[in-house]
Amino acid sequence: MSLKRRDFLGGMIVTGATAPIGAAIATVASATAQPAVVADAAFPFHGAHQQGIATPIQRNATFVAFDVTASGRAELETLLRTITQRARSLTSGGRPHDVGITAPPADSGVLGPEIVADGLTVTVSVGASLFDERFGLGAVKPARLRTMEAFDDDALDRAVCDGDILVQLCAHHEDTVLHALRDITRCTRGLMQVRWRRDGFHSPARPSGTPRNLFGFKDGTANPAAQTRDGMRRLVWTEAGAGEPAWVAGGSYHVVRVIRMLVEFWDRVSMHEQENMIGRRRDTGAPLTRTNEFDDPRYQDDPTGDVIQLDAHIRLANPRTSESISQQMLRRPYNYDGGVDVNGNLEMGLIFACFQQDLERQFVAVQKRLAGEPMTDYVSPFGGGYYFALPGVRDATDWLGSGMLS
Amino acid sequence: MPNSLPGGERIAYVWRVAAVLATVGLAAALGALAPHDADHHASAAYAVSAGADDCGEGWSTPIAGRQTFTLKNTGVAGTEVYLQGVASGAVYLDVESLGAGAARNESVTLGRGTFRFVCLAADTDPSYGPRVTIAGAAQHATPGIRPVTRNDLIPAAKAYGSWIRSRLPVLVSDVARLNSDVASGRLGAAKRDWLAAHAEYETLGAAYGAFGSLDTAINGMPSSERSAAHDTRLTGFHKVEALLFDGALPVVITAPTRRLLADVTRLKTAFADARVDPLDVGRRAHEILENALQFELTGETDAGSHSSLATLDANLIGTVHALQPLRAILFSRYPALAATDAAIGRTRAVVRSFRSASGVWRPLGSLSRTEREQLDAAVDGTLELLAPIAAICDVRRQA
Repeated sequence: MSLKRRDFLGGMIVTGATAPIGAAIATVASATAQPAVVADAAFPFHGAHQQGIATPIQRNATFVAFDVTASGRAELETLLRTITQRARSLTSGGRPHDVGITAPPADSGVLGPEIVADGLTVTVSVGASLFDERFGLGAVKPARLRTMEAFDDDALDRAVCDGDILVQLCAHHEDTVLHALRDITRCTRGLMQVRWRRDGFHSPARPSGTPRNLFGFKDGTANPAAQTRDGMRRLVWTEAGAGEPAWVAGGSYHVVRVIRMLVEFWDRVSMHEQENMIGRRRDTGAPLTRTNEFDDPRYQDDPTGDVIQLDAHIRLANPRTSESISQQMLRRPYNYDGGVDVNGNLEMGLIFACFQQDLERQFVAVQKRLAGEPMTDYVSPFGGGYYFALPGVRDATDWLGSGMLS
Repeated sequence: MPNSLPGGERIAYVWRVAAVLATVGLAAALGALAPHDADHHASAAYAVSAGADDCGEGWSTPIAGRQTFTLKNTGVAGTEVYLQGVASGAVYLDVESLGAGAARNESVTLGRGTFRFVCLAADTDPSYGPRVTIAGAAQHATPGIRPVTRNDLIPAAKAYGSWIRSRLPVLVSDVARLNSDVASGRLGAAKRDWLAAHAEYETLGAAYGAFGSLDTAINGMPSSERSAAHDTRLTGFHKVEALLFDGALPVVITAPTRRLLADVTRLKTAFADARVDPLDVGRRAHEILENALQFELTGETDAGSHSSLATLDANLIGTVHALQPLRAILFSRYPALAATDAAIGRTRAVVRSFRSASGVWRPLGSLSRTEREQLDAAVDGTLELLAPIAAICDVRRQA
């Protein structure tokens, strides 16, 4: 099988499509990048950082939080080594081992006899609960990692929040995502149990530019952090020091918020009111002060909010001040469709996912600024959590969490 | 399972489920190789004939590593094909049901050794292909084991059948006690009798229709959209349970209890001269627990006694008894047998931690999230380890 591989930075350069709500539309002034999802066969697994962070956003994803049922550090290491080994294999593709007459088939067969990589990325993050007394990891907890608190406008259901480990699986197709999920859960059976799960999809550009969320708005017009290696260094990758243990270098704080969007209610709101709440035109995605999607909103020319309200989502999320530059985060969210609510309303919304160097300085600061924004009446964050995406797997002998457990 | 009894209609469905759940086993316990690796090793492709006269022809200049065969049945009857280690008789590849004229792709990864194809057309003696010697080692070589034959399994099936037969009088006497306590209005005692009798039945490996329609009569579940109390066609343990544990009057419970006694007595009689199908023994080892995962750990069977965990405990005992007669077969064929025993033991310990010192089981719904995750993990991990046993104990021809 010939695998077309992309260079790591190449993946970053085309990243440009993600969506906000509840956290941030953090567009930089000069951003003009167009989203361009390249249908890579395989993204490299080994490196300083995990895949699925700077990787151009794929079409399908599942976010699965697990609680570890393994006992003791040795079993935890077995678990993490197993996940690493499965991730390494699944993301590069290949043929399942032949088991002869000794066992049921090694692979589910969902992707056919030859497993295709299909742009699969496996991203593994750890939650604060992993650092409780069970594994003696308290002393090496990433300094800013904690259980996600409820913000003022949240309606959290703890049954679908938190978890010891979060696995984010993304690929170009849903069958690839589900194949990987079945493989990983099967190979780790007994060592961890699913706590909550949410599947998402990333829409195509309609008709162009940034894909839309389920409110119909282009969402996440640019991702500054992903544009340059320097941006990733300043905004996404966590560094040792400043209270952080050495092993966190190359990792990233991973926030996932599952946000119900009350789409029926939203659809009964006038276009004018919708656009005022967001601060952008629905059709083009342009800031209300300007003409094109990627134009800078120029808040300095609209200081009293005559055009873009002072509490519009994009203005609160990213006021484009010198301070807010360091608050930008790398967003990588997916829309979700979850069936029907008890009152007959459609249950759908957004899996807001983002990566940042510093949980407090970035996600939490922005989220606090968004408190009480008009859009909160139309959304209800109920699930997700704070996690820390482990540093990358350096080579064929390394494994996820090796620094944390050594 | 006994050939005098009608088979369960759920079998086909069960096997789809089982195939999905099956695996290389719990990585930790097995230390098993992963299903596939990213790196690609040496491989070679061959077109190989699988007729009686040309069995194995076409496998030339083999190399260590993955061999991919296009196996074509050149004969006029359906055939089975083994790839066999000549010295050990171990089978590395078993292609069943290859129709006349049909071709199929198969692969196997082989290291050092001498091998041959064996073609086993229906009702004829095996024909053997040319010997092929491979020098050099292969990574992730396919494990080979000696096939398990009907003759190997018959003693196991007999032993398992005898064990069940030895328990049926206990079951009948348990149910007789239940019947008598209900008849005389001692409902507190009757509840204890019910729990004991039901647990006894649940050790017997009746999973997935093993006792046919008698299992439905004895331990059936209400039909769709009906509760056990309201399904007028329901008989057996769960009918009695729904009434007994909901505070029904003895006069109402008497008839279903008497019927249950009649049915378990019929089972004892029917089983007296029944044989356990050898094919079923290997499957039973994991099906009992699959059944428990599907129906007990979902609370689906609970008609009021909240004894799902007692049932699970009984099912684990039943699993141990189903595994017991297979030990001699598995000892040389299943490297994770000890890990499987350990996993069953661990799971039993987890389950029993939910029983009070006085023997009262906690309702499944009272488990905390952490307790529930520990329980599910233990059962799931055990099932992965039990799954290969059915594959290994599939009945194969001697060759």
